[in-house]
Amino acid sequence: MDRKIIHLDMDCFYAAIEVRDHPELAGKPVGVGGARHRRGVLTTCNYEARKYGVRSAMPTFEALQKCPHLIVMPTRFDVYRRESARIRSILYKFTSIVEPLSLDEAFLDLSAHGGETAAVAKVIREMIRQQTGLTASAGIAPNKMLAKIASDWRKPNGQFEIKPEDVPAFMQDLPVHRLWGIGQKTAKRLTGSGIHTCSQLQAYPRLQLYTWFGKFGLELFKLCRGIDERPVEPDRHRKSLSNEKTFVHNLTSPAQCEGKLPELFEDLMQDLARHEGRGKVRGVMVKIRFADFTRTTVERADLPLALESFRLLLHEGLQRKTLPVRLLGVGVRLEEPDESTDTQLELNLA
Amino acid sequence: MKFSVSKDKLLEGLAIVQNIVSTRTTLPILSNVLLQAGEGEIRLTTTDLDVGVRGTIEAQVETPGATTLPARRVFSIVRELPASEIYVEVDAKNLASIRSGSSFFKILGLPEEEFPPLARFENPKTFTIAQKDLKDGLKKTSYAISTDETRYVLNGILFSFRDNKLTLVATDGRRLALVDLDFEFPRGQETDIIVPTKAVAELQRLVHDEGEVKVSVGENQIAFELNRTLLVSKLIEGNYPNYRQVIPAEAKERVTLERETFLNAVRRVSLLASEKSNSVKLIFSKGNIDIVATTPDVGEAKESLPVMYKGRDFSIAFNPEFLMAPLRNLSNDEVFLDLIDEMSPGVVKVQGPFLYVLMPMRLS
Repeated sequence: MDRKIIHLDMDCFYAAIEVRDHPELAGKPVGVGGARHRRGVLTTCNYEARKYGVRSAMPTFEALQKCPHLIVMPTRFDVYRRESARIRSILYKFTSIVEPLSLDEAFLDLSAHGGETAAVAKVIREMIRQQTGLTASAGIAPNKMLAKIASDWRKPNGQFEIKPEDVPAFMQDLPVHRLWGIGQKTAKRLTGSGIHTCSQLQAYPRLQLYTWFGKFGLELFKLCRGIDERPVEPDRHRKSLSNEKTFVHNLTSPAQCEGKLPELFEDLMQDLARHEGRGKVRGVMVKIRFADFTRTTVERADLPLALESFRLLLHEGLQRKTLPVRLLGVGVRLEEPDESTDTQLELNLA
Repeated sequence: MKFSVSKDKLLEGLAIVQNIVSTRTTLPILSNVLLQAGEGEIRLTTTDLDVGVRGTIEAQVETPGATTLPARRVFSIVRELPASEIYVEVDAKNLASIRSGSSFFKILGLPEEEFPPLARFENPKTFTIAQKDLKDGLKKTSYAISTDETRYVLNGILFSFRDNKLTLVATDGRRLALVDLDFEFPRGQETDIIVPTKAVAELQRLVHDEGEVKVSVGENQIAFELNRTLLVSKLIEGNYPNYRQVIPAEAKERVTLERETFLNAVRRVSLLASEKSNSVKLIFSKGNIDIVATTPDVGEAKESLPVMYKGRDFSIAFNPEFLMAPLRNLSNDEVFLDLIDEMSPGVVKVQGPFLYVLMPMRLS
């Protein structure tokens, strides 16, 4: 039986909250994030700002170059979390199978729900609008990947449904970089081989994809046909955990970079302690962003979770480029939880 | 500003305010400790804008004044100073000279005016509680606080002042710890507030076994005054979930257990709880509990405890960490474990106003 999945995505969530709470900002380009002189990065911006080419995750100074009258608001995560909780409680009225991806995004599985899923999505969006004054977009599809792609189709404040029978046609012209799990690197490899759309990718046999991408190739074989069997998991397990920092002044020597590791490592250990029992550490990684904004990640599965391991990875990474370093990150890869594990039951808190 | 102070006193004061300062703040002033020299005392203040701490220490103040200095740096310097007496002088440009024995340090500070003031309270509700009671209550509840930031109302302890009682509640959605403290206050003072984790942790460091703590509750803030120290914190805004509804009204089965014996048995058995499932099983039969854990491909552990149990045979599984947490933090010799069935919450109780509700694990 086909599943009925909704991907709900709040429209420029943080920026929308700031505009709602500061009505004088309405109609003006607004970004939320760190200040320019501190090398801040925008976490979100509204559509007015996007017209100028401003994007989320863009450094604030760059955003201000593109849009000099951009209003940059500081983040208020306590407020965003509170709104997120309100929205989540609306979602739980429709199903208990809700998988939050972040504060502003969630998957819902409405397979057990009778009636038109698109109509339910409409009701959910309307309830959110009435109760929070914020707009959301939704994608409705037989699986998570397609629902997520669809929610982007009529943004902002819109929704789009991909019916099971329309999936083959929808996949035809879909660019491969829209597929789940395809990052910049994979996308580049594909386009380098002349593969731009899913229909082009569909022409390759399973074995070919496996030799190219290993296990992920097998996944890709299904994904490019619009098949994604990942369940909506109410209790989402993290696949990795990391802690990174952008420095006010670029780090110019390996010794300087190394000096930053203990603090990053300590914070990572604290985060890990909080996630105790939610997955075993399967590998360690170091992320470096150089002064020219290129980034590199060094990951090893066979090193222990120790400061010394990160030091090794750092030096490996620093050899890839002789440029000052803007950002350093340390992280761990977590073991994917086994479906057969015992489940902790939850208290029935309202 | 000019003063001399004993190294021990200054270290003590810095240690109190140390935890609050952040090393990676976007506002440099928040890495600093505010030093205010007044008559015969120095006040040390730090804040991260959510939580602020102010400690007071004795000192010989020659010229009163105020400045702010990088807290971690000053702490590491003072710790290493060679003599027991420290002389500090700060000039108008906030350059501090620190002398002790043969050492001399110059540290550049930031002006006092840049330091964000701690919150003031308009008509606060005030309560006075014995420190010992509060310390005990926090110890018995704080381990159950949620660290899941998406459930922000659970990232703290509920302080519910009602019916001449202070009820402390902490939960992470899987287990819930509750303590009632009796003391008298006017009915008009009744209020429910959520004190965030960071403030709880600081408070736990500050409370002693003697003396009282004065609690002031303002609109969005709370202050604790104790042992010449002031702790001010923002409150978590929002409604705490209705925790009463998860406390089972009555138990089907009750067993009485020796706390330490039970704790030690669970701890040993949990050595073989598989990392994946992380559960231990309690198997009840007449006069006995078997505590069992199994890890496929590794092995299993079992301990038997003789108990007064006359009910039906049944078994229930718990996360061993969640089961041990209250046992570790209680001091009673005996605990009661109330159970209904394998899918319903279990309750740990003691002789006294404490309870701990714990959801079992469903075995695959």
